[in-house]
Amino acid sequence: MKKWWIVTSQTYMRQVKSWSFFLLVLMPFIFLGIGVGIGYLGMNSSTNHDKIAMVSSNEQLRQQYIKQNKDDINGKYKTEASAKKALKNKDISGYILIKSDAKQVTANYYGDQNLSNDVKTNLQLFLGQIQQSNNLQNAQLSPAQATSLATNFSLKEHVQKQKSNDSTIRQVSFWIMVGMVYMILINYSSITAQEIASEKGTKIKEIIFSSTSAVKYFIGKISGVMLVILTQIVVYIVGGGIVLEIAKKIDLTKDFMQNNSQLVNGVVDNLFNVNLLFLFLGVVIYTVLSALSGALVAKAEDAPKAAQPAIMLSMLAFFATFPFVADPDVVIVKVLSYVPFFSSYFMPIRIINETAGPVEVIISLVILLATILLSSYYIGKMYKGLMLQTDDRGFFKALKTGLSYK
Amino acid sequence: MLKVEHVSKHFGDVKALNDVSFSIADGEIMGLIGQNGAGKSTSFHSILNFLKFDGAISWNDAPISEEVFDQIGYLPEERSLMPKLTIEQQIVYLAKLKGKKAKDIKPQIDQWMEKFAVKGKKTDKIKDLSKGNQQKVQLICTLIHRPSLIILDEPFSGLDPVNSDLLKRAVLAEKANGASIIFSSHDMSNVEEVCDSLVMLKTGNVVLSGSLDEVRGQFGKTELFVVTDWPIEKLRELPMVNTVESLCNGRFLLRLDSEQAGPAIFDQLTKGHYIEEFSQRPPTLDEIFRMKVGEK
Repeated sequence: MKKWWIVTSQTYMRQVKSWSFFLLVLMPFIFLGIGVGIGYLGMNSSTNHDKIAMVSSNEQLRQQYIKQNKDDINGKYKTEASAKKALKNKDISGYILIKSDAKQVTANYYGDQNLSNDVKTNLQLFLGQIQQSNNLQNAQLSPAQATSLATNFSLKEHVQKQKSNDSTIRQVSFWIMVGMVYMILINYSSITAQEIASEKGTKIKEIIFSSTSAVKYFIGKISGVMLVILTQIVVYIVGGGIVLEIAKKIDLTKDFMQNNSQLVNGVVDNLFNVNLLFLFLGVVIYTVLSALSGALVAKAEDAPKAAQPAIMLSMLAFFATFPFVADPDVVIVKVLSYVPFFSSYFMPIRIINETAGPVEVIISLVILLATILLSSYYIGKMYKGLMLQTDDRGFFKALKTGLSYK
Repeated sequence: MLKVEHVSKHFGDVKALNDVSFSIADGEIMGLIGQNGAGKSTSFHSILNFLKFDGAISWNDAPISEEVFDQIGYLPEERSLMPKLTIEQQIVYLAKLKGKKAKDIKPQIDQWMEKFAVKGKKTDKIKDLSKGNQQKVQLICTLIHRPSLIILDEPFSGLDPVNSDLLKRAVLAEKANGASIIFSSHDMSNVEEVCDSLVMLKTGNVVLSGSLDEVRGQFGKTELFVVTDWPIEKLRELPMVNTVESLCNGRFLLRLDSEQAGPAIFDQLTKGHYIEEFSQRPPTLDEIFRMKVGEK
């Protein structure tokens, strides 16, 4: 087995088997689950009280109304007495009593609060239909007259591209994207720097460097972390897909998903495209930087300091995106979308806002990829020199010695 | 065969190694001795290619490079393993880095743990082991892939006499298998018991080298142990005697100017006196070490 792959698989297995990784990957789903659960419980606890009862001597009419308005009506109470008692016990917020004879339909509402506009509109519509039907029967019209009177108006919506919705999609996509890049990147920068710094503080590095070359070891370590990142992204894609499918089906979120399908689909399209590649490669290049800074600290106790350069640079890039959320077509965004360490934030902005063509995207990706490969090889060459230094000579002197080693 | 030829290494203005040369044949154990800072670890780091140096180091006539790493077993001075791994995971990982397959190594682990009397199960985590047991696991990691060049930096440090014996037996077994072994030690008794040859470093320079007999031969049989009724004052007046030390049970140690003084002293001591013991020997390694370290 190739030695770099042994290092890769060991790094990967150690990370993915850890509780911290498990929690990190599952955290968004756990929070989502808790949020939905709380929403569901809240809805359930207030459902019965917020609902109203429908009472009528005409059972067919009652059932028809309940069927049309099942979200608002508690169908448990069939008689006026039972509904009155339920209202008194605060089990329902009110009840509608519908009486109907051959000439007129009469409805009375009794409750501890006014009918909501939605319920009132639905009720008026329902009563209007019943009354209209009764009126037609009472007028004893010929079939032609009845058909003529039953003819209704026509309303059709012809909606062009929804500009305002596009803007929302971009905004939401942007914040999710940069937020994801920032969070994942900070996390892996920290993990990598600390892991390498803690190895530097021990002699295990000497055992390893007496077994394989520093370049292979370094590439193996970075590849291991890359696989861990990839695993997290795959879990997010699969998990996100499952959550979306579930959200489309369960009562709690079904309406929201239907009403906002354009927004949801737009955001999903923006996230699950080439932007994911920028996310992945962005995390990788910051991981390489973290590995370098991890190798520059003198002892294991300095491990927390090791992640600082990558984290600071990442914060700079993250906050630098803010002014350009609504203005992605300025020169600085175009320039930074090609600069490694910044391109993972800035090119997705341009992609989301459709201000970058395929050629520009490919050029940016090639620059990013080439930087990762070259810097990994270069750092790998001086890695042994950096790792075997144990005296605390400071960041720049350590870097200078490492450079002279290769 | 390991050949170290005219190796020099500077750290800034400090000369860590100065024209150091030695060789170790197959099946030979060599002790590298010297005070702290003499250049022992720097020598090992040079052999392992951790450092850039002047001179040449080769293993079986090839420079030390990644191609021969699989043939090397190295135990660093400070013990260090990966605390979150189990004993088995740690041994298998490092053996795989030495080109071995997990399926070949796993069945041997119990046997090696028994050989070094490691207390615990192979599923125990390294961090849960005592310091001594961690050291034994590290020794297993050094030897399990059957290296032909074994480099042990202070392997006896921190081991009790029982575990020192276990290690000596293991080292001798590897020698019997034809491995070339080099180890550093401050304890000369370990070197005397196990080594075929030694190299003594002092501030980066080789001050002594050769087989144990050769090294001792360089000093001659200048130590004379006698049990006699002669008073110590009279012994001090004997010709060619430098110092006289009174040991226990009426035993004296006389340090002589040269080996040749022995017969004349014997003649004088036996004139009208009973000599219970008269034994002329070369100095011990420990004494040689002290002598050489004390020399300016």
